[in-house]
Amino acid sequence: MKLAVKAVPYRALQKTTTLLISAVFIASIGIGVPVGPPQFLPVAVGSFLLSLGYEFAYYRRFEYELTDDTLDIRSGVFNRREREIPYGRVQNVDISRNVFQRLVGLSKLDIETAGGGSTEASLRYVTAFEANRLQLDIRRYKRGESPESHAEGEVGDTGVDRDRAVDDEELLFEIAPSELALAGVLSFDPRVPGALIALFTGSVPFISPIIPFDAPPLIVFGLLAVLFAAGLVLAWIVGAVSAIVNYWGFRLTRTEGELRYERGLLQRYSGTIPFDKIQAITITDNPLKRRAGYATLVVETAGYAPGQTDGRGSEAAVPIGSRDRVDRLADEISSIEEPTFNRPPKRIRRRYFVRYLLAIAGLTGLLYAGLSVFDLADAMPWYLPAIAALGTPLAAHYKWFHRGYWLGEDHLVTRNGFWSRETKQVAYYRIQTVIETRTIFQRRWSVATVIADTAGSLSVLGTGAAAVDIDQREAERLRETLTERLRTALAERRWDRQRSTAFEWTDTTEERSDSTGASGNGQDVDQSNASQSDDDSASQ
Amino acid sequence: MNDLHPRIRVIWILQAVVVAVVVGAVGVGMATFFDVSQLPPVGFAVLLVIVGVIHAILRYRNWAYVVREDAIYLERGVFTQVRTEVPLVRIQHVDSRRSAFERLAGLASTVVYTAGSRGADVTIPGLTPAEADGLRRRLKGLVIESDGEDAV
Repeated sequence: MKLAVKAVPYRALQKTTTLLISAVFIASIGIGVPVGPPQFLPVAVGSFLLSLGYEFAYYRRFEYELTDDTLDIRSGVFNRREREIPYGRVQNVDISRNVFQRLVGLSKLDIETAGGGSTEASLRYVTAFEANRLQLDIRRYKRGESPESHAEGEVGDTGVDRDRAVDDEELLFEIAPSELALAGVLSFDPRVPGALIALFTGSVPFISPIIPFDAPPLIVFGLLAVLFAAGLVLAWIVGAVSAIVNYWGFRLTRTEGELRYERGLLQRYSGTIPFDKIQAITITDNPLKRRAGYATLVVETAGYAPGQTDGRGSEAAVPIGSRDRVDRLADEISSIEEPTFNRPPKRIRRRYFVRYLLAIAGLTGLLYAGLSVFDLADAMPWYLPAIAALGTPLAAHYKWFHRGYWLGEDHLVTRNGFWSRETKQVAYYRIQTVIETRTIFQRRWSVATVIADTAGSLSVLGTGAAAVDIDQREAERLRETLTERLRTALAERRWDRQRSTAFEWTDTTEERSDSTGASGNGQDVDQSNASQSDDDSASQ
Repeated sequence: MNDLHPRIRVIWILQAVVVAVVVGAVGVGMATFFDVSQLPPVGFAVLLVIVGVIHAILRYRNWAYVVREDAIYLERGVFTQVRTEVPLVRIQHVDSRRSAFERLAGLASTVVYTAGSRGADVTIPGLTPAEADGLRRRLKGLVIESDGEDAV
């Protein structure tokens, strides 16, 4: 099948715009050539025609096809590329469309698999109808159904409706207006201060006349503080707006075996995450959110490559929701008992206390040293950070109080963080490796950290599900228990799978029960069933 | 538990020496440029070598691994001691490789890859080439046996 024909002019236009913007940028800063409409128009038209030609060739040479067990993509104008992606390996299927794409009825479809440095396959662009059809059909192929059996949906020409009409969806979470507003208020875009600093340092010659450096230091200090505050407010406003735009109309629904999300005001995102592929669930809150009864939930999958540039991270993240709804949602995704956390030994609070004091002392010292360099140490209140030392006993206590781990029936639950408290749930059968570490400082307190590593992507930045600073003997036990539970959980799953395949595909269970190795199951049944059982084992 | 081959210490010490020489050379270069005494950078380089030797010896002493029937278990680390359990089911693929230093010392390493985000690749250094190949084959056999159709 082909991409949408409409995508050809759209892509060409997109390319030309980027080209022209960079051309204007280079021309305006670099060489000082006067750039006006007369010089501009031929360049614009020329590059548009060129890219139109290229995009047409791209369109001609881009082909995709849904076969019985793989998605095949052949692409490339100069470098040809042929890919076959087994359905069982597909982690997420994401659709996004921005305002302009919605206007012309185009969608971008991204297919994520585990591993690899980036999105596995990206169809730019298909019609909105085709995108929904693909998303739905990939899901069906994954379950081993053939999409033809649902061909009655063909009549509807609005893709979204067709999708909804055919599959029963159960609404798990829909963001309330108050929650959306709160998400905006609580968002803070750290990139803005960074950009401002870059801008500021680059334009010191412009700004220096504004700041009266010969005035008393305290006034300079105050002025800088005001500038800093203005930067913070700006960062906050940008963060608020982008959060509201991003999470507008956020909803999570459940269809058979899959989690489906939709969100976005200007750019609409929607996608599916198979329950099988969920690696971990993280619930985050802080004292303010806890007081108001709210929390944040993130679903981790292995599909998204670590360090993806757009900073969206996991797609199925509830930015903020009332506590009980978030808990209910977590319960829907992976039902779990109420955890009772095992805390680290109490002696560890002294360690945190000392650590916080050292950090504050370091900060104060740094400030003093920095001010001394400019001979301002006498005039400035460099000792201000030391006041925070008053709060350290409380912080140390809460750091200890929030820390803990719990071994549930099927899950490991860990909790960490003194301000922003993070609770992580990892199913035993999702654990990849178990790591026990003892730093030189931990050994002094005879404690250790146990980390249950999963294939999730957030864990690269965060700590993973970690039981931090537990007693060394306990850590050793925990490490062994986790490995053991992983093994039994996997064995159970394999057994369940074998049994269910046996029930489904043969009449007598006795025949199947002695078969070993899930991948060999059902191969002596007829052809379609054999491929079915292969799909199953690959997708779970 | 298996120890590494004692000669691995030679490799680690060599690596430390290379780092020390580079740092020392840069330091001496800068000292000459700014026309100050060359003694501190040289002293620093010597200190680096001494620390490197001690570190290599301790590191060797703390390294141990064992392939159990269902998992690989490793212990290592000087400042931070790390113990890792890699279930065989989770292994994606296994490499045996030899760096230039390792070829010089007649050694090889085996690298085990998982889909995890933290311990995604686990290297067992200090094996003889035959051991490394043997370990790779043995792991391959065990991984196939343990039915790792569910690696992610």
